[in-house]
This record gives sequence, structure tokens and C-alpha cells, in this order.
Amino acid sequence: MAQEIKPTKIIDARGSYCPGPLMELIKNYKQAKTGDILSLYSSDSGTKTDAPAWIKKSGNELLGVYDRDGYFEIVLKKTRQ
Amino acid sequence: MPPLKRALIIGDGAAGTIIANKLRLLTDRDELEIVVIGNSRIHYFKPDGIQIPLSLKPYKKSVKNPVFLFNAGIQYIRDEVIRIDINQRFVSVKAGKSYDYDYLIIATGNRLTPEDVPGYEGEAKHFYDLQPALGLKEDLTRFNGGDIVVGQASIPIQCPPAPYEFTFLLDQYLRNRGIRDKTHIHYIYPLNRVFTMSTVAKFIDELFEEKGIMTHTLFNVDNIDTKNKRVNSIEGESVNYDMLILVPPHRGQKVITESGLADDLGYIDVDRHKLTYAGNDDVFAIGDATNLPVSKAGAAAHFQSGYLAHHIASDIGGAAYEEEYNGECACTTVTGKDNAITLFFSYDKPPRANFNSKSDFLLKWTSADTYFSGMVRGIM
Repeated sequence: MAQEIKPTKIIDARGSYCPGPLMELIKNYKQAKTGDILSLYSSDSGTKTDAPAWIKKSGNELLGVYDRDGYFEIVLKKTRQ
Repeated sequence: MPPLKRALIIGDGAAGTIIANKLRLLTDRDELEIVVIGNSRIHYFKPDGIQIPLSLKPYKKSVKNPVFLFNAGIQYIRDEVIRIDINQRFVSVKAGKSYDYDYLIIATGNRLTPEDVPGYEGEAKHFYDLQPALGLKEDLTRFNGGDIVVGQASIPIQCPPAPYEFTFLLDQYLRNRGIRDKTHIHYIYPLNRVFTMSTVAKFIDELFEEKGIMTHTLFNVDNIDTKNKRVNSIEGESVNYDMLILVPPHRGQKVITESGLADDLGYIDVDRHKLTYAGNDDVFAIGDATNLPVSKAGAAAHFQSGYLAHHIASDIGGAAYEEEYNGECACTTVTGKDNAITLFFSYDKPPRANFNSKSDFLLKWTSADTYFSGMVRGIM
């Protein structure tokens, strides 16, 4: 059974349109510590590709992209210093 | 006769002036008193900021005294609002007076916050206000080749197409001066494409490639290393520059935050269709002051003003106004020498950009005249 990932912070950007959710993620990322896990909730379909692309480019770890009930959850681990 | 009501408008920029003038055209003076509070020294047509630094337009044609832009029957108070109290229903100004209202319309716009980017002040240039645009004009005159980086520090900004518009015109300016082959133009952008709207981004990206403009996407500015002339991103990328033209971050006005009406960035969270704040049917916000998911642009404020003026006029007349604001906006953006595209969009209809047009370019080039003679007066 997979271990449940407990986020350090949940960023609820549901109802916000592109690029709002990604900007929320970046804003919270700047304030996070190395090792923190951020979970982004978004109802905007563009986030499903935009956020993982940003996580990859920024050199952090994408822990998962999940389809939830009416929204997406994207989970990031801050691995950069 | 029903008692005289008062519409109190905070802000004398595009949004505040247009809504005041539209309201005046739709209502009688004995049913609605219209009061505008603002302290702008000039009314600057900001879209001309892409032309002024490139010597394509004398700045004097882009500014007017705000006093002369209001239609007859509007009271204009030159002062600074220091407090908005929607519970007690009044607004206080610096001079010590307070004003009550029946309808409050907040149109306070943005403020630029270069201090949010370490290294910005005294180093980066921009064209998002008149004085910086004039300063950039002088700097460009002295530029004789090297690396120019153009972009925006963050999202949101006013007039989202302006950075790419400026880049296309800069490319032409350098060609005209015979120094394009000695210059690398770098375009940096926060998303994984060159513009927020993906349907337009592809079109712009192809034009950039055609003109030899280098793009750096997913580039969110973290700081400027002034010693090494390098702009660094949160994502870990760096671009060297000889000249950095960077639209500074934006926030809402301090009075919005200090009055407890703001989100994290200082903007007002309004109903997307009714433009009301927090369920209050007599408190509205329009234009750049809001966090609506539409472009922060005079064109959007123009559409919002049309909806809101009709709504208030109908309310005064005792009739229900069935229409809603659905995110409508239209803007014409420059894509190079004698070329432009016009984008129409709303909340559920993304814009399409398929071809350049010379007639759209003429529309854009004369837009200050159209704005000052018709749009700002509320007759369009």
C-alpha cells in the first residue's frame, strides 16, 4: 500500500484561472524551505501541464499529479537550496 | 421625486473617468450626483508607452489634464483617498473630509513596485509610466549594440501584450538604426510559453523566431545581479544583459489593503459577473483594481464600465438590468512594422490570432485619438 504524502502546505487555487494557480505555486515556493512538500489544488486544466513543466525547469521534484473530484492536485517537493 | 442619490467613484484614471462619463450620459442630474475623487497630475494614455521610447510618437499627444476629461455634471475632487469604510459607508480623503455614497465604485488601478525585485532600482529600465518611458528613450539613443533583455518581472501586469509589442517595435528600431546585427534581443517570460493565452502565444512565438528574437520561458525574475549585469530567475537560469528593459511587478493601491479590501497582491476580489465586492450590492470595483481573470487593460475597464453604468442607471430607474459582465475585452496589439492583430475574448471564449493586418496597425496607431475623443468620454 502506497504511503500517503503529507504536504507541508496546501495551496488551494481552485476557481482561479491560468496563470493564477502557477503564480500561487511560485509565490509559496519562494517562502518554502528546502524539503517542504507543497500541494497545489487547481480546477484550471492548463495547470496540469504548466505546473509540472515549471517544477521540472526549476530543478525540484514532482511527487505526483492526481485527478481529484472536480480539480487536480499537483504535489511538489522543494529540493533546491 | 425620489431623493437624489450619489455615485462616489474613487480613481481618475481610465476606469474611473470612463464610468463617470458613461453614468452621466445615462442618468439625469436630479436623480444621480456623480462625484469622482482622484489626484492624478496627468491622464496618460499608457498604451503609447511602447512608442514613446522608440521616438515613434511625441509624448505630449499622450497626456491630458484630467480636469478636462469629465463631462459636464460631474464633480471632480482632487484629493487622495486614505480610507474606505464599507461598513459605515464613507470614504475619507487626505484633506480631512469624508464622503458618503449610495453607490461606491472603486477604480484605483495599480501601482508599480520595482522594490520587490532586488537590484531593480537604478539598473533596469521600463516603459510603464511616462517618465521611465522618456528615460528609456534617452538610453536607447546611446545604445550601440550588445544584449538587450526585455520582459516582465512577474504576473499580473497591465496590458499583458505590451512587452511583446515593445519587443517587435524594438527589433524594427534597431534595424532602422543599422545595429540589429550587432544586437541580441532576449525575451524572458514567466510561463512555459511567450504569452498568457496559449492561442496567441504560438503566433507570437513564430514571429519571434522569424525575427531572430531569443526566448527564455519559465523565467520568473528573482533578482538582478548589477555587478555582473545578469538577471537571475527563480528557476535557476541567468541571462546577461547590456540593457535590461523589465516591466516591474504590480500591486494594488495601498489604500485598498489598508481598508481591508485586498487580496495578497492588493487587488479587490469582486464577483466576476456583477463586479460587486463581498456580496455588497452597492460596492463595485472595476479595471486594474480588481483581481478579475481578465487583462488589466483600459479596454477591459471600458467593457466593465459599460455594464456597470447600465446596471446602476437601471437600478435608479427601478428596473432590473438582466445583462452581466462576462469578461469581454478587445485589444489591438502591434506585431511589427505596419502590422497588428486585434484580439476579442471573454471568460469562456479565448482569443484567436491567425494573421497580421495593416488596418489593425492603423487602428492601434491612432488609438490615443480615439480614446481621448470618444472612449474616455463614455460615448463609445
